[in-house]
Formats: sequence, structure tokens, C-alpha cells
Amino acid sequence: MLFNSYTFLFGFLPIVLAGFYVLGARRREWALLWLTAVSLLFYAWWRPINVLLIAPSILINYGLARCLERTGEARPAMARAILVAGIVFNLSFLGYFKYLNFVEGALNDAFGVGFTLTQLILPLGISFITFQKIAFLVDVHGGRVSRYSLADYGLFVLFFPQLIAGPIVHYREMMPQFRAAPCRFDAENVAVGVSLFFFGLAKKLVLADPLSQLVAPIYGQAAAGVPQSITEAWIAALGFTLQIYFDFSGYSDMALGLARFFGIKLPVNFNSPLKATSIIDFWLRWHVSLTRFLTAYIYNPLTLSLTRKRMAQGKPIFGGRNTNFPAFINLLAMPTMLTMLISGIWHGAGYTYILWGLLHGVLLCINHAWRSVRSRIWSNAKQYNRRVAPIGFVLTFVSVVGAMVLFRAPSFSAALMLWKGMIGVYGATLPQAVFSRLGSIAAWLTAIGVRPAWTSGSLLMAATIRIGLLLGIALLMPNTLQMLAAFEPALGVKPAKAPSRLERALAWAPSGTWAVGLACVALAGILSLGELSEFLYWQF
Amino acid sequence: MAWFLRIWVIALLGLGLLVVGLNLLVDPYDVFGTPRIQGISLLKPGPRNHVLLAKTYQEARAHPVTVLIGSSSTHFGIDAGGSAWPVSMRGVYNYGIPGGYATSSLSTLREALTAGGVKNAVFFLDFQNFFIPEGPAGGRDDGERRFRALPDGTPNPDRPLQMANDMFLSLATMAASIDSVKTIAGQRDAGLLNLAPNGSSTDADFIDAARADGMHDLFAQKDDFEAARAAGLRRVMAGWRGELPNLDIIRGIIALARAHNVALTLAIAPHHGDALEIYWRMGLWPRLEQLKVELATIVAKQGGEVALWDFMDYSDFNTEPIPAAGDRRTKTNWFWEPTHFKKQLGAIMVQNMFGHVMPGTAQPGTPQSGVPLFGVRLTPENVADRNAQVRAQREARVCGRKDSPLLTSLSTPLPDGCDNPQEPRGPT
Repeated sequence: MLFNSYTFLFGFLPIVLAGFYVLGARRREWALLWLTAVSLLFYAWWRPINVLLIAPSILINYGLARCLERTGEARPAMARAILVAGIVFNLSFLGYFKYLNFVEGALNDAFGVGFTLTQLILPLGISFITFQKIAFLVDVHGGRVSRYSLADYGLFVLFFPQLIAGPIVHYREMMPQFRAAPCRFDAENVAVGVSLFFFGLAKKLVLADPLSQLVAPIYGQAAAGVPQSITEAWIAALGFTLQIYFDFSGYSDMALGLARFFGIKLPVNFNSPLKATSIIDFWLRWHVSLTRFLTAYIYNPLTLSLTRKRMAQGKPIFGGRNTNFPAFINLLAMPTMLTMLISGIWHGAGYTYILWGLLHGVLLCINHAWRSVRSRIWSNAKQYNRRVAPIGFVLTFVSVVGAMVLFRAPSFSAALMLWKGMIGVYGATLPQAVFSRLGSIAAWLTAIGVRPAWTSGSLLMAATIRIGLLLGIALLMPNTLQMLAAFEPALGVKPAKAPSRLERALAWAPSGTWAVGLACVALAGILSLGELSEFLYWQF
Repeated sequence: MAWFLRIWVIALLGLGLLVVGLNLLVDPYDVFGTPRIQGISLLKPGPRNHVLLAKTYQEARAHPVTVLIGSSSTHFGIDAGGSAWPVSMRGVYNYGIPGGYATSSLSTLREALTAGGVKNAVFFLDFQNFFIPEGPAGGRDDGERRFRALPDGTPNPDRPLQMANDMFLSLATMAASIDSVKTIAGQRDAGLLNLAPNGSSTDADFIDAARADGMHDLFAQKDDFEAARAAGLRRVMAGWRGELPNLDIIRGIIALARAHNVALTLAIAPHHGDALEIYWRMGLWPRLEQLKVELATIVAKQGGEVALWDFMDYSDFNTEPIPAAGDRRTKTNWFWEPTHFKKQLGAIMVQNMFGHVMPGTAQPGTPQSGVPLFGVRLTPENVADRNAQVRAQREARVCGRKDSPLLTSLSTPLPDGCDNPQEPRGPT
């Protein structure tokens, strides 16, 4: 079931909320059990067999966690073995369903071993659930989680607002909230939830989805080997970047809003990433919960381990006074590349996703390298921020947009073709209708290699306007977290100390104006439900 | 906060009802048949991208005596309400579907005949549709879920749900709401695209494009498209043996018409000489001649009230000059571009096919009638002569003439093809 469906919005959600509030008024435990049950129904809706796949996995993880707890500090080696077994089990589960075909296909390609590829059912949201379960086991092993029942654990894993596309949450930030939740109708929670949900729905359906019609044909042509001119290539690159931006932003807002109906605040997952002034900044804003997971459970342990080894060997470490190039490579570049390789693989079973992850890894390494030397070039931090931050923004934006081509393209060759198009290898074209209206400018354009083409002038104009408007929204407008900051829309979000004039003007308030405005936004979203579409992020 | 939620709910419901009411009043896709209101919904541009949806509901309300089937050339080129139609055939509905193939023409004819009352059917066929297989006749696409009957004549079980879906999407979607607003906003524009209740469409898009870019660019763009299409069809036809593809669909249409006691006319729709020249030079002309022969044979074998007309030639109509590049003033008389003829030519075709002219006047071709001769009724006996006649027309109008008006706008040069008209050569 998708959040952006009639079934969910007018069937599932009202029934779930009514049941939750009615049961919560009697006994809150019943309300939480109800929430777990309907989450399971939500999960089963698309393919009931999903439940048969996920339920044993939940039970096994719960059993392993119990074993870990009992083994505890008394037998650390055994506890470590159980933890490793749990991680291997979860990764194998993910690997079998998500990556088996890819690996077999890759082996077929490389060695011609002739594996027969089978169509496996990919359990919904498996990548998110797997990471969440691993984080839970690590936290139990580290003693950061205690006091949990099977019902608690089931609700933590299955809570439907974040089940299929995140955010990836920690048990320790969710369960205290479930325990404290009143499980009754709370007008503020519902008002904030409604606002977040419908902002998200409109972003997804009104802003993101129509871009698909714009970019899909261009990616399709590139995949078929048709060279794209600089105009089409940039429309494809920018168009998809904005499509996935508003798709993911919309989904994240909807997840926050839905959780809020139950009195739960999910962590921030999306925070205007296109405003980032560096690629490090980008990853602190884009899919925040994934970055948090990868940093906490892969990057940091790896860096810590490598740093200890180097220190034991008496070699310089990265960040110290005697930092040198080998320290940078060993302690920063290698862990970063490995982490981003995993990020790429996590996003999808395909070469393009892997390359996308590695490309971001390279960009992050460059960014870190620059950070380590910039203080020697610019000692004045304020001056640096004023002069270099705009350049950083442009470089980051172009890098992110360029890398997104790899994320969307069906093959590396298609991505390469679009990249070549973006730098003008296949020339520049303008629609004949536009060309014939440019008068003497047309001759000048022809002289620099711009050619007329039988593409639609009105479509180009519409695409340019649409992309321009959406870029304006993404880059200039405050995001929903900022607009609702006074009501803590996500876990830990507080109002800015010095909000901009625009942020103050667009700050959400429980006023009649906002109620009517939000009704318009909600109506736009509801009216757009007719064109059902999937979330780009929902099967990662 | 509770107050905020109350206001929000009331505003949402109020705005929602307003939108639904507006969409019902304007009826942008003509699904409900809401009476058209001057200044609000007299002209309906909304069906531009929903032609099958709109026409299926329109046709069901129209109870036509004559139904026209075909593709965009029928949709734009034939005026169902024109005076060219004989009185006995009037009550014409234009069921031409842009982008339609032979298969979809069979489906729409079946839909039109299911309700009964239709006495005549005219199928304007595009010859290109017989140069590539379309799959089994009677196949259904999503749009046909709203049809009354299945191909075997039994009631369509999907129809009620599809109709509910159609109505919901016409009332409560963003696309319908935007189209309603556009419909109202455009009413003052006399040149607004309009799908009339008889299924005929105005030519607003062609007129706008011609005004903006000039007729030359319209032809040039379509010439390039046709050259690419012809190259694809040439590859399909290169290894083709025996009867051309999709002729079973023609047999199906004839059988359907006979079963419903409907007089059927098949018409090979005219193309401008630019398009003909592309197909000639790509080596597909023998296939076009083969199509005429095979169609004439099928019609003769089926007998009954079936006529076959051919408008595919190098006559004055089909070879009218194309205005020069940059000329945005000069208009053409008969064609918008190589594959879409104008309604003026459509009227002449109708007058020639049905022997009717303005009341009180004479047969087409006579000085008294004022209607020029165009097209030939094909039979197995005259089809060879007709093919020879068209070749002769081409010889006279194209070969050796540097001032030939044809293909002046094609950006990719094609071989001349005049040195051996029996076996035209195409590029390799």
C-alpha cells in the first residue's frame, strides 16, 4: 500500500487512527498492539507473502537479542559471536533477496558460469528493515538497549509510517516515545501531522511526479544509444535530480506526519540537501538517517580500528599535527570509499548504483582533503565562508546533479552518453520554432555550433519554466522542518535562533489562513492521486 | 488547535465540492454530456489528450446513422457535420482516434455497432498500418475497458468499474480541474481547439503551428518523421512474403459491417506527394500498389455493400506546392502537412464517394457540380490501370522536373528513384 493511494488515505488511515484513539482511550497497550497489527496488514497489503518472509526474521532477531542480553558482559567472546551471527544472518537475508540475481548476473558476465537467474520477490523496504535490525543488535550488544518485549520489538521494526522507506530509526529513540505516547487524540499532534503529511503528498504528486514525463523519454533515448544534445542532457539531469528530491522530500514529510498522528516524532531524514555548500554538507542533509547509520556502524568503527593500529605502529594519524598523505589514504579515504561503496550497493543491485556510491566517495575524499588544507590557505573563517561558500555551493550542486545521472540511467553507457551530452560532445540544439524567432542571434548561434532541431519549442519552454520554478522552491524556500520548527516536526528540531525574513513569514501557525492554505495544498495532493505512482525510494 | 482542524476540514470539504461541481458543470472531457454553456463550456479543448475517453461517451449519446473510423487523419480531416454528407447518411459521428491503428478501428467500429442504429460506416485507412503486423485482431487496450461488449459480442464485465473510474477521474482529479479552468479561460478565443459533440475536431493546433512556424516547417518536420518511419517499415517489408499484414482486420471489419447490415466504405486516405515521394524513394511503392490490389480483391470477394476508394495519387490536390521556408503567411489549401489533409479536401472526398453534392446540383466532376473529381473507386478490374495511372502522374510531376514542388523541405536527401520506376531504389 502506498501513502499516495486512495486506499491508504480514505480507507486504511482513517480506520487505523479511529482504532488507535478508541483503544488508546481504554488501554494504551491495546492501542500499541493495534498499531503493530495494522502495520503488519500494511506490510502484507501489496504481497501477503511479505509477512511470511519478514516475520521469521523478526523472531530470529529478537531471539538473538535475548541471547546477547543474557550472555552480556560475562561472556564477551560469546556475545561477539552472537552479534556477528546476527549481522551475517541479516546481511544474508538482504543479500539473498536483493543481490543474488545481481551477483549471479555479474559472475555470468565475467566468467560465463551460466547461473540461471530467478525472479525473487523482494520484500518491501528490506534494506531499511535490515539496517534497523542490525543497529538494534549492535545497540543491545553495546548495552545501549534494555527492557524490551517481543511486542515492543515488533512495533519498532514494523511501525508503518517508516516501514517502507525510512527513516532508519534506533530503538532507543523510538521506544521511549511509544512508552510515553498518550495514544489518544491530540489536536496539536494531528494538526502538525496533517500539515506535514499533506505538504509531503503535494510535493510528491504535484511537484515530483510530473517530472517523470519530462525525463523518462530522454533517459530512454540515451539507453537506446541516441546521443542527446546539451539541452536535453541537462533537462534530464536537472529534471531527475528535482524529481527524486521532491519525491524523497515528500515521502519524508509524509512519514513524519503519519508518525505524528500517533504522537511519535521520527528523526530528520531530509533537510534541503540541494542547499548544501559542500558534498560533506550534502550527506548531512540527504537521507540523514542512512548517513547516521553508515557513519555510526561502518565508518566510525573502521576508522577507529585503523587509527588504533597506526598509533600502535607509531605512524601519524589523520587530523593530528603530523598528518601525512598515507594517513589520509588509510584513515579517511579508504573508510570513506568503503562506506560509500556500501551506500551505493544498499541503494540498488546494479553497477550504476555502485558507481554512484564510489563517485560520491571520491567527492567526499576531495572535500575532506580540501578541508584539511584550506585552513592553511584561508586562516580567516568568516572570509572563507563569504567568498568560497558560493563556489562550494555551485561545485556541490553540479556534482550532485551529475552523479544523479548515474543513479537514474539504466546503464553506465547511457549515463556516459548523457554526461557527454551535458558537456556538449553531441552539440547543442534548439527547437526550430525557437531558432526561427531569434533573428540575427540564430546566425550567431549557428556559428558557435548550435543547430536547429525538430523538437518542440513549447515543451522546451515548459520544461525550462518547470525546472526553474522547482529549483527556486528547493533552493530559496524554507523547508517544512523550518516552517513547523516551533512544533518540533521531527525529533530534536528546534526553531532557528535567527530565522530569515522568509522563514518568519512562512512559519506555520494554527491560524485560519494556514488552515485554508493547507486545505488548498491538501486538495491539490488529493486531486493528484488519480495518477498513481511509486516512490523512487520505496524498494531500497 | 482543534479550531484549526475544524477550519481545515470545512475548507477542504468546501473546496473539494467546489472543484467537483465545477468539473461537472464544465465537463472537460464530455463524459457526462452536461449541456454546453456559452462562455463556459461551449468549446471543449480538454479531450485533446483523452480522445478515446471523450469519443466513447460522445458516440454512445450521439446514436449516429453513419460512423467514421480511422486515425488522426479522420479525426482532423473529416467534418461529421459538413454539408457534403448526403441527407440519408447524416447523423454522422467521427470516431477517428489519433494514433489509432487498424486494430483500434475495428474495436471502435464494434463499439459503435453494438448499440444498433448505425446504417453506414466509413473507414479511412492509413496505408502504413498495413506494412507492419499489429498483433491479433480484436486485441483490447486499457481504453477499450469502457466499451459495451467484448470482441466476441458478450457484455464487457469491466465496463461498470471503468465507467465509475472515468467519471471519478473526470470529476476529482487535478488534470480534470486544470482542464476545466483552461476550458473556461479559453472560451473567448475563437480559435480554441474544440471537440464537437459529433466527434469532429477543429484544427486549432495546426492553425497555431502554421501561424507560428509557417507551413514549410510543418511539412519539413513531418517529412523527417515519415522518412524515419518509412525506413523502419522498409526493414519489416524487406523479408515479407505473401499477403500484407493486418488484412485480416479488414476482413473482420467487413464481416462486422455485414453482420450488422451496415453499408461499409473503405477509403485509402490521401497523403501529400511529399509523403508519397518518401515511400516511393524508400522502395515501398510496390507494396502500396500491392495493398490496393489485395484490398480490391478482398472487397470483391466479400461482396455486399462494401466499396473501396483510393485517394492516394499524384493529383493536383496531393501535389499542391508548399510555401517557402520562413513564409508564415501563405497557406495551403488541402493539407496541413504530408499525412493530414484539411477538411476542405475531406469534403471533396465525401462528395466523390457518395455522389452527393449541394442539394440541386450535379455529380462530382461535372462543371455544374463545382466539385472536382478526386479519387477512384477500386475494383479488381481497374486496380492495375489505377496503379499505372498514378505512376504516370508521378512521372509527369516529379521526374526530370527541377521545379517539382515535392520534398523541398526534407532535410535528409533521398535518392531520386526516377531512373527505374519499376523497382525504385532506396538508400542502403
